[in-house]
Amino acid sequence: MASVRSSRVRPRDRSLTRPLRASKPASTAALTARRAGLIGCHVCGLVQTRIERQADPRCARCLHVLHERRPDSLTRTVSLLAAAALAYIPANLLPIMHASSLGGAEDDTILGGVAYFWTSGDWPLAVVVFIASVLVPMLKLVALTLLTATVRRGSAWRRRERAGLYRLVERIGRWSMLDVFVVGLTVTLVHFGSFAVVTAGPATLAFAAVVILTMLASHQFDPRLIWDSAHAGERLARRVNEEGRGAPLTTKKRIS
Amino acid sequence: MNHFSNLSSPELKPRQRWLPSLIWLVPLICALIGVALVVKSVAEKGPVVTVTFNNAEGMEAGKTKVKYKDVEIGSVQGITLSEDLRHVIVRVQLNNDAAKFATQGTRFWVVRPRVGANGISGLGTLLSGAYIGVDIGRSTEGQKAFIGLENPPIVTTGQPGHQYTLRGESLGSVDIGAPIFYHRIQVGQVVGYSLDPHGAGVIVNVFVNAPFDQYVGTNTRWWHASGVDLRLDSNGLKLNTQSLATVVVGGLAFQSPAGQGAGQGAADKAVFRLASDESDAMREPDGQALNVVMRFNQSLRGLSVGAPVDLRGIALGQVTDIGIEYNEKQKSFGMKVSMALYPDRLSRRSNEALPAPDTPGGHELLQHLVIEGLRGQLRTGNLLTGQLYVALDMFPKAPRASVDVHGNPIELPTVPNTLDELQVQVADIARKLNQVPFDRIGANLNGALENANRLFGHMDTEVVPQARDTLAAAQKTFSTAESTLRQTAPMQSDIQDAMQELTRTLQSLNTLADYLERHPQALLFGKQGDKP
Amino acid sequence: MEYHRLIVCHECDLLFRKPSSVEKRRASCSRCGASLTALRGARLPLDWFCAVTLAAFITFCIAQSFPVIELCANGMTSEATLFGAVRALWSGNMRVVAAMVFCSSILFPLIELLCLLYLLVPICTGKRPPWFNVMPRVVQLVRPWGMVEVLMLGVLVTIVKMVSMAEVIPGPGLFALGALTVMLGVVALFDPSGLWAVRDEIRSS
Repeated sequence: MASVRSSRVRPRDRSLTRPLRASKPASTAALTARRAGLIGCHVCGLVQTRIERQADPRCARCLHVLHERRPDSLTRTVSLLAAAALAYIPANLLPIMHASSLGGAEDDTILGGVAYFWTSGDWPLAVVVFIASVLVPMLKLVALTLLTATVRRGSAWRRRERAGLYRLVERIGRWSMLDVFVVGLTVTLVHFGSFAVVTAGPATLAFAAVVILTMLASHQFDPRLIWDSAHAGERLARRVNEEGRGAPLTTKKRIS
Repeated sequence: MNHFSNLSSPELKPRQRWLPSLIWLVPLICALIGVALVVKSVAEKGPVVTVTFNNAEGMEAGKTKVKYKDVEIGSVQGITLSEDLRHVIVRVQLNNDAAKFATQGTRFWVVRPRVGANGISGLGTLLSGAYIGVDIGRSTEGQKAFIGLENPPIVTTGQPGHQYTLRGESLGSVDIGAPIFYHRIQVGQVVGYSLDPHGAGVIVNVFVNAPFDQYVGTNTRWWHASGVDLRLDSNGLKLNTQSLATVVVGGLAFQSPAGQGAGQGAADKAVFRLASDESDAMREPDGQALNVVMRFNQSLRGLSVGAPVDLRGIALGQVTDIGIEYNEKQKSFGMKVSMALYPDRLSRRSNEALPAPDTPGGHELLQHLVIEGLRGQLRTGNLLTGQLYVALDMFPKAPRASVDVHGNPIELPTVPNTLDELQVQVADIARKLNQVPFDRIGANLNGALENANRLFGHMDTEVVPQARDTLAAAQKTFSTAESTLRQTAPMQSDIQDAMQELTRTLQSLNTLADYLERHPQALLFGKQGDKP
Repeated sequence: MEYHRLIVCHECDLLFRKPSSVEKRRASCSRCGASLTALRGARLPLDWFCAVTLAAFITFCIAQSFPVIELCANGMTSEATLFGAVRALWSGNMRVVAAMVFCSSILFPLIELLCLLYLLVPICTGKRPPWFNVMPRVVQLVRPWGMVEVLMLGVLVTIVKMVSMAEVIPGPGLFALGALTVMLGVVALFDPSGLWAVRDEIRSS
């Protein structure tokens, strides 16, 4: 067995930025499970040997399907991203709420709502809604696009930062559902018969679609792909796209 | 950190036993809170009742509230259609403290904006949404299924006041909710109406609020105060209204007759008669009617059924029928008028009691009156419309007639109308004037005047110069006479003196005569000298 | 062949050897910085998680049954429970949105809690439940989609919005929701893949 590094156990250190120099020596000697011919089960965590040419490799302990890498990760991520980007346009242009009262009916878009909060003095509210509804989806789209582009190109640029970016996207993805919940609650509450009625507009659907699609896209993206191109050039990057079949016996042999 | 208890020192073990039990407090507390909330919400719930309405307009499951005196006592849980699809069944969840609303007699209705006889109500529900109003019933029996009212009840239970029943001829323009006036103040409302079971009139249920119900007694009269009371008859034109509200929606009024109190307080649901107007309500009962017939020989145009019959200005009765008779013997048409007279009206007005018409005293009175000249006559009540009425009056100069007091109907003799007579007389005068030969008189007068004219011409030319001469001569004579008289002026003064002397003598003789009269003995004894 | 002394970083596929003890420290990958969750099971004792999960489940039930906020304006009141909000969206021709809100705020957290309870309660008492293999997978699947903390923030934003137009009365559901957010945050620290080691222990014992 090749030398395995001990995991770095350190006191709570949350800094994500590390000097590039420090990471470089690690990468050249790093041994991934794939190169070692092992797979770690993503359900139970058991590290086991990968059996090639098995139609349905299953974990020895928990009997779940083993995947070396997420199947068709990049393709799926890109398609989902494209759909989300398409849905993002009507989500911002169409009204998200119809409010009809004795004074008349009015439609609110997301940006219009933010502007309303800002001008009426509700700054914290405006900031929160702006971050959750406009900034976060935009950030997710941009980040995921960046990640997929760099992985496809097989670039070695700032891997750790990109990994951190991926973690960020995963964590904040859910918060853009805020607007959908607010609309849902408002619709339920403001239901005073003829006096004031609020219904959800078409942007709600588009917005929810954006959130779901970006969450699915970030799920489908396999972060290990960032590090796969650390060892080989474009050859390996190309092979990433055809997932896990005919796993390279060659690599194992080369290493051992 | 406690997971590695097998590695760490044993001192940690005793602590380990406490801490897990502590952590289990967290779900325990949550469970307790949950149970407490559930128990509280279950305890707050009261009974569930179902109310049947015609439609569910304005109501929404889970939102519409039930309010009593504007306090929320429950809410609508569900709305379903009845099985025969004709009604809507509303399931209402009452609060726990409103459990006493599920009794017999409780009424439910939907409060919506309404325009009714009382005006517009329920406008607040335009903003707040319709709600279900309740009126609690008085019974103690429980009831779970109710039939909802379509309109709010006029009178809610517990409102102080009394209900009364009125029987009248027609409903007029009165509707549920129409006001009831006392001295033109609204004191109550009409609560309901129905047709008399025999179809002979209407029954109107009214409600008079406290404290005005103390003015309703056994003597109280009720009448329709609806609309505009306009009458044009032989008495003239009369316009009477209660208030603008009654002009539109109608109303009833009540009052005790003048001079009488309300009498004993009327019990709840007491029955009264509903008259058609105030005078009809206030008039005293008429007593027995006397049927009388009169025959007239003139046109009855202007006389209508119901026209009054009065005796020297006092209303005695009314005309009940107008007919025509063919007299076979005289081959002429006579007009026969039947009327109903109420002698009781007379006795009410007079200080002494009149004998009743049926008694022998009454018969005697009637005969006496007829002999004295009691006749019936048609008179014009209103020159404008030409309406006639029948007047009974004494006509001493009328031709003699008699009355059969035992007949039914009694026939009273009549005299023609003075106006008609006047018409006949004037026609006579006109005829006579027609006969006067005005043209001949005129011709004669013309001739006389011509003669006179000639005479004056004569006078002018002949008579007048002669008269002038005569006058001149007479003047001369007068002046001569005057001078003569002046000459004899001294003779005049002499005569004057003589006259004076004579007067003095006569005076002294007068004095002597007086003295002698007083002292006749002076003739003998001479004058007594004045006593010193 | 199984290597029990090894763990793999799930974000960069780097192999590591398990350290002997992880007490009071957290383990992270030296290359990509991801925290190695398989070692996290040593953080809090299992029965703590069990208790918190149970409490979270009860709180979840409370939060669903009672109204979250009540609004009073002009004498009209209207109240909202979570399920009522879903129903309002469903009947308002926003069925997809209603389904999404239902899933993310009601269904998935419920599934997560139930599965965790199903796993934890027997294990705490020392028994191994059937279908043990499926449950952690389900939990792993469902976890990213349960968005109760986003819901909590959404409720707060709605309250702030409504305060200007009507009187807002917080219902018991709101406090339950707040407590649920905290508890779910604690529950999310738990990685069911650590249960396998416990299961093996039970099996062996």
